[in-house]
Amino acid sequence: MEGETVIRNVTDIAIRVAACRTRRAVRHFSRSGFLSCVLAACLGVAGLPLAAWAQPAPDLGSEEQREAGRSLYMDKCAQCHGDAGQGDGVAAPFMRPMPRDFTAGVYKVRTTPSGQLPTDDDLARVIRDGMPYTGMPPWPQLSDDEIRNLVYYLKTFNADFSGPYGVPDLAEIPDPPSFSEASAERGRAVYEENQCFDCHGMAGRGDGSSAPTLQEQWGNHIRPADLTKRWTFIGGATRQDIYRTFTTGLDGSPMPSYSITPIEDSWALVDYVYSLSQDDPDYATAATARYAADPVDPAQGRAAFGEGRGAYFPVVGQVIESGRSFMPGVDGVEVKARYNADEIAIMLAWHDMSAETTGENAPDMAVPPTEQVVRDTVASVWSDAVAVQFPQEMAPEGLPYFLFGDAGQPVDLWFADLASGAGRSYVGRGSGNLIAGETDPSVHATYEDGEWTAVFAMPRDERFAEGAFVPIAFSVWDGFNDERGNRRGITGWYYLYIEPSERPSPVMPMLRAGGLTLLALLSIVGLMRFRRRTSVSA
Amino acid sequence: MNILILLAACAGLLALRFVPKMNILGWLVGWWAATFVFLRWGINPPLPTSIQGMFLAILTLSLLAYISANSAHFRFALDRAVAFATEKKYTVALLVTLILLPCLVALRVYFDVTEGPAPPLSSRTIHPPPPVSIEVAGRTIDLVNDDNPYRALETEDPAAFAEHVANGRRVYYENCVYCHGDDMAGDGLFAHGYDPIPANFQDATTIAMLQEGYIFWRIAKGGPGLPSESTPWLSAMPAWENFLTEEEMWDVTLFLYDFTGHRPRAREDHGGGGDGH
Repeated sequence: MEGETVIRNVTDIAIRVAACRTRRAVRHFSRSGFLSCVLAACLGVAGLPLAAWAQPAPDLGSEEQREAGRSLYMDKCAQCHGDAGQGDGVAAPFMRPMPRDFTAGVYKVRTTPSGQLPTDDDLARVIRDGMPYTGMPPWPQLSDDEIRNLVYYLKTFNADFSGPYGVPDLAEIPDPPSFSEASAERGRAVYEENQCFDCHGMAGRGDGSSAPTLQEQWGNHIRPADLTKRWTFIGGATRQDIYRTFTTGLDGSPMPSYSITPIEDSWALVDYVYSLSQDDPDYATAATARYAADPVDPAQGRAAFGEGRGAYFPVVGQVIESGRSFMPGVDGVEVKARYNADEIAIMLAWHDMSAETTGENAPDMAVPPTEQVVRDTVASVWSDAVAVQFPQEMAPEGLPYFLFGDAGQPVDLWFADLASGAGRSYVGRGSGNLIAGETDPSVHATYEDGEWTAVFAMPRDERFAEGAFVPIAFSVWDGFNDERGNRRGITGWYYLYIEPSERPSPVMPMLRAGGLTLLALLSIVGLMRFRRRTSVSA
Repeated sequence: MNILILLAACAGLLALRFVPKMNILGWLVGWWAATFVFLRWGINPPLPTSIQGMFLAILTLSLLAYISANSAHFRFALDRAVAFATEKKYTVALLVTLILLPCLVALRVYFDVTEGPAPPLSSRTIHPPPPVSIEVAGRTIDLVNDDNPYRALETEDPAAFAEHVANGRRVYYENCVYCHGDDMAGDGLFAHGYDPIPANFQDATTIAMLQEGYIFWRIAKGGPGLPSESTPWLSAMPAWENFLTEEEMWDVTLFLYDFTGHRPRAREDHGGGGDGH
């Protein structure tokens, strides 16, 4: 890799923003000063229109457009971003990342160099497409005109938009060359040279060593992106989006802008990040438990469950009962399972920014009802934990309540506190009524490169009969996020399919169906020919 | 509904009109094909294949009924079938049919056997009938006769009404937005993790066709308060009486209508209540 120069910006956000501001001022001086001086000198008379040409006026919209934008803003946006655009609406305390403070004039998703304002199209794009898996939803139901009016109104919150920096430069974002495996392979080296792993982790799961202490400009903790989940990228998931995100940075967040040369290396990094995940999460509705005659060894971890990605279920916040979790630390759990005559084993794997292996956790810990806000400090007293839940009995009238069962229909809960690593079982008749179960599951859990893998093994009872669809639900606690008891990530009921050990061969049914069809056709044709012959001979 | 596909299917049928010497069997095939194309590609969001199959089976039966209702048609169709089965010029086609049809059936069976079974489906009743009255914080609320106590302010004291709506807005964005979404379209941050999915209040089939007492019941009692035919154990709707005051629940009801521009359904009995003006 000789002869390549790699420039890495300082990660300290304060220094960086200051530097960018200065750079912006310098560039602007040279452009407006030098250019207009030279050109005005050359052309002499045409001073006034020329100055206007050398420094185009920002498009601030008409009074009516801004007013239309204002009323739309008060209707749809002020709830989170605040009546005065300061990012302090009623819903703001429950959100991480926090809603944008428009008065700061600092924006994450831009096609302009770091430190500059975004273009109108940049603002419009974020309004239209939203930022997935954050509090900012997409607004495809707004017309282009409505979005433009909103943009004009947003620009009134910060004076820079109407000042000399109101027309930002455009960063150069070329069309992407085609993806290649070789380039993605080389991108791994670029990823390491630029120390992306500091925040994003060695495997890109957002678990870098500095991840727990990262802060955005306003002092709140912010999690680095999990690069293995492209569908969660706030700046978009195409290769061009990824290029734009790291070349222009996410201003206001610790994600700096990078200038990686030669440009092939930039695209190699893009290809590497792109190669880390599939297009969409591909959420499942059922996981499959496969038969394997040999005994389950939980210590083998993932290797005991064969190749391939398991069923992936979305995890969302428990916002139904007291102890509500508005921004859970975990957004998905992968599930694989296997069984033999005596045992059933279930593997759960999920990405977690940091492993909390001290302290304790339990599904029935009390959470004070007043504790409603997402915390920003790193002083975890709760360990990470996970649980699997099954109905205790299959009742014809339906399932137990998915939040740890109900008085009429209890659930079995297999729980693992990942600090001790010990498995416990509970019988749940609602989240306020959990008692210890009879048999504790054996649990083996490991944390590696930002991923927890927990294997539960239990004696196989009659619920897990071959061919059965067993209702199953999950809970995940992220100790870093103060999750314990009812404050946790949950799923609704899904299914665990116990795939029969002997899969029936399709040959006999195929032969039978095909043979019967042929027989029917032949008898119809035969009958017609027979009748025809007899009628002709008669 | 995909208008282009519908037009194409109609145009195809119209074109059959100009085919010289078109017989009844050709028409049947044409109708069957046009309906298939429309059902398969013409409807958006697409119909489940089982429903498509049902429609096509009904169509096939009615086409057979049509052909057998007229003896001339029936005679003709029978003659063509007999000719196909017996005449020499059709021997190759007949052999191909005799081989191909059983193979197709066997292929279908292969897919059925190897695909594996699908998880059981549970059906649920949406908008179940509400109880006559409910208890909230020790007070009995008559869902049949009581209206939203603050609805009358809309005409009597608009300023006080606006305050109630503003309070409802606060309640909504502190509590409801995570599932029901910023624009109340049922597409909040957590909507993808719950089944049944959160209600879409912008849709004309939710709050627009319900009375405010019904909305209040659903808010106060949540999923656990549903009757069993509506799968209370699956619903992620909290019982908000545990978190909110009665006034807050009536206020957020006002806000749902205010934000979406819908009006509560009018009461049938004394025909005025909250109907639209």
